[in-house]
Amino acid sequence: MIRFNQVNKTYPGGFLALKNVSFQIAPGEMAFLTGHSGAGKSTLLKLISLMEKPSSGTIHINNQNLDNVGYRQVPYMRRHIGMIFQNHNLLMDRTVFDNVALPLIIEGYSQKEIRRRVEAALEKIQLSDKQKCFPYMLSGGEQQRVGIARAIVNKPPILLADEPTGNLDPKLSLDIIKLFEEFNAAGVSVLIATHDLGLIARMRYRTLTLKSGNMITDGIVDGLHSQTEVVSE
Amino acid sequence: MSNYFKPSPENKVSTGQKLMSIPLRHLQQAIGSLGDLWRTPFTTFMTLLVLGISLTLPATLHLFVKNANNVVSQWDSASEITLFLKLNIDDKAGQNLASRLELYPEIAAVTYISAEQALKDFKLHSGFGDALTYLSENPLPATILVTPTKRSGQAVAAKDLLLKLEKEREVDQGKLDLEWLSRLEAMAKLIEDIVIAVALLLCLSVILIIGNTIRLAILNQKDAIAVMKLVGATDSFIQRPFMYAGAWYGIFGGIFANIAIFTLAHYLSSAMTELTALYHSSFTLETLSFTETVGLMGSAILLGLIGSYLSVRQHIRAIEPTAD
Ligand SMILES: Nc1ncnc2c1ncn2[C@@H]1O[C@H](COP(=O)(O)OP(=O)(O)O)[C@@H](O)[C@H]1O
Ligand SMILES: [Mg+2]
Repeated sequence: MIRFNQVNKTYPGGFLALKNVSFQIAPGEMAFLTGHSGAGKSTLLKLISLMEKPSSGTIHINNQNLDNVGYRQVPYMRRHIGMIFQNHNLLMDRTVFDNVALPLIIEGYSQKEIRRRVEAALEKIQLSDKQKCFPYMLSGGEQQRVGIARAIVNKPPILLADEPTGNLDPKLSLDIIKLFEEFNAAGVSVLIATHDLGLIARMRYRTLTLKSGNMITDGIVDGLHSQTEVVSE
Repeated sequence: MSNYFKPSPENKVSTGQKLMSIPLRHLQQAIGSLGDLWRTPFTTFMTLLVLGISLTLPATLHLFVKNANNVVSQWDSASEITLFLKLNIDDKAGQNLASRLELYPEIAAVTYISAEQALKDFKLHSGFGDALTYLSENPLPATILVTPTKRSGQAVAAKDLLLKLEKEREVDQGKLDLEWLSRLEAMAKLIEDIVIAVALLLCLSVILIIGNTIRLAILNQKDAIAVMKLVGATDSFIQRPFMYAGAWYGIFGGIFANIAIFTLAHYLSSAMTELTALYHSSFTLETLSFTETVGLMGSAILLGLIGSYLSVRQHIRAIEPTAD
């Protein structure tokens, strides 16, 4: 589903953000991406969502080599990837309903179908009663959930989340992760970037660790005792 | 319920379904972008004012040229030939010639002015009245004013007629003042060229004004555009409301210009009626024809679309979504 092969990313200015990164995420797999701030987590997700291009190496998404994706195909590739960010990126002058409906409107669904799907997505995140609200009327956790509803409303096979629990308390964070687990159970591949090690420690998931651009571990983190295999650089 | 979230990447919407909804969606977006313009009434109004004026100017110049050509063509066909008779020709012979000329098929009207009449007129109008009484002899010849028919009044035909008339025995000299006519024509042509150049410049400024207005609108919506790109919107989807905004600017700018021109023409035409009544002229001011009105609207919309297209091409592509 996601395959990195010896990927390097140098930002303009010469900063080497990712160094020779290789890994794979299978369809229906759920994994965490962790590392200190500045380790290159966001950079890795940006490469997947075509916001940045790798300096060298190849990336395959859905068995499609991203080298062969031209400017015009980028939007169509992104429709297969649900993206969630710490600053949820909602349109502040549109209602919750309209925000969630955006990907469907873009893809040209009928009004009826849009209503059906948006209502189902809002029910899933338990915000059905807030669909006419504007984002500023919601709490941080609620806004984050609206962002999640927008990411999954068009049923993408891949879900990416960059610090989705960024400034939420542990209880809310766990709720959000549980939501991701539900999508994963329905067959969606999920990759969550977070520096919140405490959150990961409470679960048993594959964890990829970045340290200043190098992928240093890839394995199951189980509680505080991590059984990790070192990835050769 | 959780089944709903099962991924199904391919063929979410059938092509037929998509095609069916296209006209409806365009209509919605067109109305939506009209609403966006309404949300910033001051900016929109100022832009429309500038646009309207930029469109009114070339159209007014066009009207001016059109009416000037009309006037020139009226004068053209009414050109007159003055025949000065020899001094030894007496009144009777002169009047004979006048009646002979009246039979010419090329001639519409003939007026005979005797030498005495000419002197009287001259005394009356020149202000040399008293001085002229000291002359022992009338120095003025009798003259015949010849008005050619419309067809023989055209520049070339009138020249031929003049040559023919000068062959008459009684005629000393004929005069056809074509020079001012050709000068007037050349002037009209020059003005027309200037009008075309000015019109082109103003069209360019309309494109720039709309392009700049749309650029500001795009920058205003920068964040929203980035989010739309993030969830998979194509550039053509994002640019559509801005293209509609450009078209609306064209439509309203065109309507403004049409109203301004008709008001102006109406006002001038009533002033003109008084003036032309004084000169016993049948001149009436022509306003824009139906085709010209439609043409003005059409070019306004076209300019609006060109302006917004250029802006959209350049600025929407430059906006990239960011993760942070
Ligand atoms: N657009 C950019 N231009 C230059 N350097 C960047 C850019 N984005 C990120 N970086 C640098 O790349 C490194 C990795 O950043 P990032 O991927 O955001 O890390 P993380 O998400 O793990 O905190 C940081 O040192 C950051 O300063
Ligand atoms: Mg980051």
